[in-house]
Amino acid sequence: MTLDLETLDADGALRETAAAASGDTRAGFLAKAGLLGGGLAGLAALGTPAIAGAATRKGDIAILNFALTLEYLEAAFYTQAERKGALRGELRSFAIVVGGHERAHVKALKAALGRRAVARPAFDFQGTTEDPARFAATAEALEDTGVSAYAGQAPKVHDDAILRAALAIHTVEARHASWIRDFNGTAPAPEAFDKPRTKQQVLAIVAATGFVV
Amino acid sequence: MPEPLTLELIDQDAALAEDPTRADVLRRAVAGGGTILAGGLLIGGLPQIALGRPSARQDGRILNFALLLEYLESEFYVRAVAGGALSGALLAFATTVRDHELAHVAYLQQALGNDAVTKPAFDFKGTTTDAAAFTATAIVLEDTGVAAYNGQGPRLRRKTLPAAASVVSVEARHAAWIRHLAGKRPAPAPFDPAKSRKQVTDAVAATGFIA
Repeated sequence: MTLDLETLDADGALRETAAAASGDTRAGFLAKAGLLGGGLAGLAALGTPAIAGAATRKGDIAILNFALTLEYLEAAFYTQAERKGALRGELRSFAIVVGGHERAHVKALKAALGRRAVARPAFDFQGTTEDPARFAATAEALEDTGVSAYAGQAPKVHDDAILRAALAIHTVEARHASWIRDFNGTAPAPEAFDKPRTKQQVLAIVAATGFVV
Repeated sequence: MPEPLTLELIDQDAALAEDPTRADVLRRAVAGGGTILAGGLLIGGLPQIALGRPSARQDGRILNFALLLEYLESEFYVRAVAGGALSGALLAFATTVRDHELAHVAYLQQALGNDAVTKPAFDFKGTTTDAAAFTATAIVLEDTGVAAYNGQGPRLRRKTLPAAASVVSVEARHAAWIRHLAGKRPAPAPFDPAKSRKQVTDAVAATGFIA
């Protein structure tokens, strides 16, 4: 099955945001602000302030759900690779450390979204979690894609607290990418400027993997 | 290379008009060490507060702050590569990163035009002529660069953010790369910290690298 917004968007949160932006009712605004404020308290561990009542918009919820989907994918990939037991040495350490980070990202994003969080899709990693070489190549692609996805979405974030969290995650994904690239013998920082990708570009890449079933 | 930043930075007078004096009052309050009012919310002791509304003028200040850090980094690597103390993977790292930092300098200078700060004189205290000292210093510089950009990101206008985003992840790649070479964990935490301008400026001042 190909991945598109419909398959990702189990509960409609992403599609709902396509219409997006302003025009929230006051009650809806307060309800979401409350949800998000509570969720952001979960981000306090990273030095991000818990700003209850920070402006909450459909656009921000869509961005958080898009990020959550990518983090679900990454977290599941590393968690499964660790459980399959095919990795040794530094590659195993990489999977354990990075898996822990991605799970922390999932937790933070879910907390920020509350009941607006999209559900976790089912994944089929096509054997890439059971073979060290394929794992390493896939990890490199996933991390580079994550970097470009956050770079593409960050300027679209409205709320400053959400932006701080996104930036704090963005550079960690870049560290992961650099780490696995150096391990793989590819240039850790291939260019002076990293290129952002749009949501559609990222979804097309994810769809092409066939990892989301 | 991201899209050229035009920014209307040169238009300082117009920028002044959209940057209310309130922002300056708040800035002085922070300099005085008081509690901070940001966006009407009382927040205490947080290092990364978005003071004042983002504006062209504020973007200019932030980009000049970034330019200063990029001058520092680029000069550090230029001297380290020229110094002859590095070899192998460390030299490859220094050479690549030198070129990246020089590209960042050129990009920011272009964006700032006549408003770009001039390059200070540097004294790297021998850290560019000793492999171990170079490695330890590079880690600090790159991690600090990441924290500095992440601290300033929310203070930029959203239209300026893509440029900063395209640089900061490269700084993070550098940080992870040199950490890996040094046998340190490339990604030490799930969320990278942000540092305020004052925290970064103090850290840079403490090095004594700016002569």
